[in-house]
Amino acid sequence: MEFKLEAHRIVSISLGKIYNSRVQRGGIKLHKNLLVSLVLRSARQVYLSDPCPGLYLAGPAGSPAVSPPQPGEPAAGPPAGWGEPPPPAARAAWPDAEPRPERLAGSAEPAAPMTGAGDTPRGGETEAAEAAWRCVEGPREAAEGGAGGPAGGSDGFPEGPRGARGPCGCPPGTEERPGPLGACPRLDCCCAPRPAEDEPPAPPAVGSRKRGAAGVGGGPGDCPAPGSSPRKKPRRNSEEQPGGAATAEEEEEEMETGNVANLISIFGSSFSGLLRKSPGGGREEAEGEESGPEAAEPGQICCDKPVLRDINPWSTAIVAF
Amino acid sequence: DIISTVEFNYSGDLLATGDKGGRVVIFQREQENKSRPHSRGEYNVYSTFQSHEPEFDYLKSLEIEEKINKIRWLPQQNAAHFLLSTNDKTIKLWKISERDKRAEGYNLKDEDGRLRDPFRITALRVPILKPMDLMVEASPRRIFANAHTYHINSISVNSDHETYLSADDLRINLWHLEITDRSFNIVDIKPVNMEELTEVITAAEFHPLQCNVFVYSSSKGTIRLCDMRSSALCDRHSKFFEEPEDPSSRSFFSEIISSISDVKFSHSGRYMMTRDYLSVKVWDLNMESRPVETHQVHEYLRSKLCSLYENDCIFDKFEGCWNGSDSAIMTGSYNNFFRMFDRSTRRDVTLEASRENSKPRASLKPRKVCTGGKRKKDEISVDSLDFNKKILHTAWHPAENIIAVAATNNLYIFQDKVN
Repeated sequence: MEFKLEAHRIVSISLGKIYNSRVQRGGIKLHKNLLVSLVLRSARQVYLSDPCPGLYLAGPAGSPAVSPPQPGEPAAGPPAGWGEPPPPAARAAWPDAEPRPERLAGSAEPAAPMTGAGDTPRGGETEAAEAAWRCVEGPREAAEGGAGGPAGGSDGFPEGPRGARGPCGCPPGTEERPGPLGACPRLDCCCAPRPAEDEPPAPPAVGSRKRGAAGVGGGPGDCPAPGSSPRKKPRRNSEEQPGGAATAEEEEEEMETGNVANLISIFGSSFSGLLRKSPGGGREEAEGEESGPEAAEPGQICCDKPVLRDINPWSTAIVAF
Repeated sequence: DIISTVEFNYSGDLLATGDKGGRVVIFQREQENKSRPHSRGEYNVYSTFQSHEPEFDYLKSLEIEEKINKIRWLPQQNAAHFLLSTNDKTIKLWKISERDKRAEGYNLKDEDGRLRDPFRITALRVPILKPMDLMVEASPRRIFANAHTYHINSISVNSDHETYLSADDLRINLWHLEITDRSFNIVDIKPVNMEELTEVITAAEFHPLQCNVFVYSSSKGTIRLCDMRSSALCDRHSKFFEEPEDPSSRSFFSEIISSISDVKFSHSGRYMMTRDYLSVKVWDLNMESRPVETHQVHEYLRSKLCSLYENDCIFDKFEGCWNGSDSAIMTGSYNNFFRMFDRSTRRDVTLEASRENSKPRASLKPRKVCTGGKRKKDEISVDSLDFNKKILHTAWHPAENIIAVAATNNLYIFQDKVN
């Protein structure tokens, strides 16, 4: 359990780093992003392999990028909507919308290589992420059958016919980012859309702010309903993508392009309502490390351990149904 | 500005520093003064110039930082000094020369430079050289550009004094010092499919004596030695140095901390030193299976890796250096600490580069980090370490026990106490 929390945190921090790397001066640093993606992969593997059913509910939301809500997706296997296999791992995870690049071109971020970059070949960095993403399907599918299935349909994503149904029998949520757990209005509904809030609190809020700043703002296409955005095959810049932090760049670009939108906000939504970014004061020691919330990095989930521990009773209740 | 590289020249008389603003500052050692025999030659500013400026790649919408990543001196061949300085994309060869004489008595122009009317010249004279205040000029003699797609992390001058290599994340190029419009690619680890990328080049260096041999280190903690005689493209290594990973110490961050941030040959050429996040290792070129020595720099950080990952410190690239006789190695740490390892006595010491904690000319007191339990007096606990004060760049005089330590934007020069 502890490992799972730690892994989840590391995943979100890693994504935040990748996201931030695009605005760093000097372009994306290939080396650093490669290392971050390796950490991301390890953390995801741990996260997904740690047998802790209670967290699977929150988990998938935590492993959300994996499955962009795709109503029309086939139930089995890696969501076809993800596009093709391996390379597009990240791409698959974050399908981008057609209009994005143009909008991005006008974005205010001078250092972001998105425009001219076209798209960057992903490195094995992505491959890691990809492998990790794929793994998500496993548990979810396996669990689908049983009511006790953790990821059953409770990942909150309107996965379309399959996932969303889940144990509670609710129709696939129509919300883009259905909140898991805390988001459910009913204890027993595992996939109902988010409660009152349309946007998850702090971290995601930061995320959406980032989105706006990046030029996503304006226009209806901001956050197109998942799955409704046309799947654009990123142009492969055959070479010379400086600092081609392949994954990073691509991910960020596509994140910006809406649809599943901000990965980070999704991560944030995974614990919506249950997590809050406690301002500096909430430092806790965990395993000798400082796990307290630190300065704002978008996507960095700052969770209080007690809060996270409380998830369990809820998830157990949900799973029971 | 933050110092980003420090390098002594071959004689040790000159010390060059590069900073994040693209400037190079060169210090020169003063000649020993007979009237003050107790103070050995001090280093004073000799020359300052702007080496690189920020650039913008319009095609890729990328800003190119002007930060100087590396400086390497060329062996001195005449009165002038030459050095190579590089940022992420462009390497420049600079000539630093002194001018202490001025010609006077020109025929065609006045003393103030105005041209004289030729018709008014009635007699000819030979200009004479008169002494003037010393002026040190730096001029760019060569600019080696447009050869790197990724960020340049290393340059190394060959022992043949004619060629040098430059390495970025995925490629290493070989240049001739005289030729700027061409370079040979000698290592290319870019996979056809970038998605399959698993490692990048982190540092590269020529062997100090064998002009056909160079090494490069990777983000996976491996070092490859290549021989340029074997083939034009040295993708296949001649030797492969890797230490098996200890499975018991595996964590999320194992890969990051095993990434090598610096590799340096010993002066003898028999050994090489690699620096990864927590340790310094000495390798014998004749043994590829494991290093001959491993020195822990700050093992107490192993339990803090997650926090260090969060604040990005885990990505810090520490450098290391050998002393002139190869009997000691030095590298930096946090809290303005730096560490020295004496290979022969197997002793090590932690020192601090800080104005507050040491007076000029006073001996440095060894520092100690308390790793747990009761903290003794004068010890510092791990949690009080300042991770913003990092010493990434250090240099050791090639012959004497004089060291240069860059602590953020301050340069400290320490030397052995003279009795």
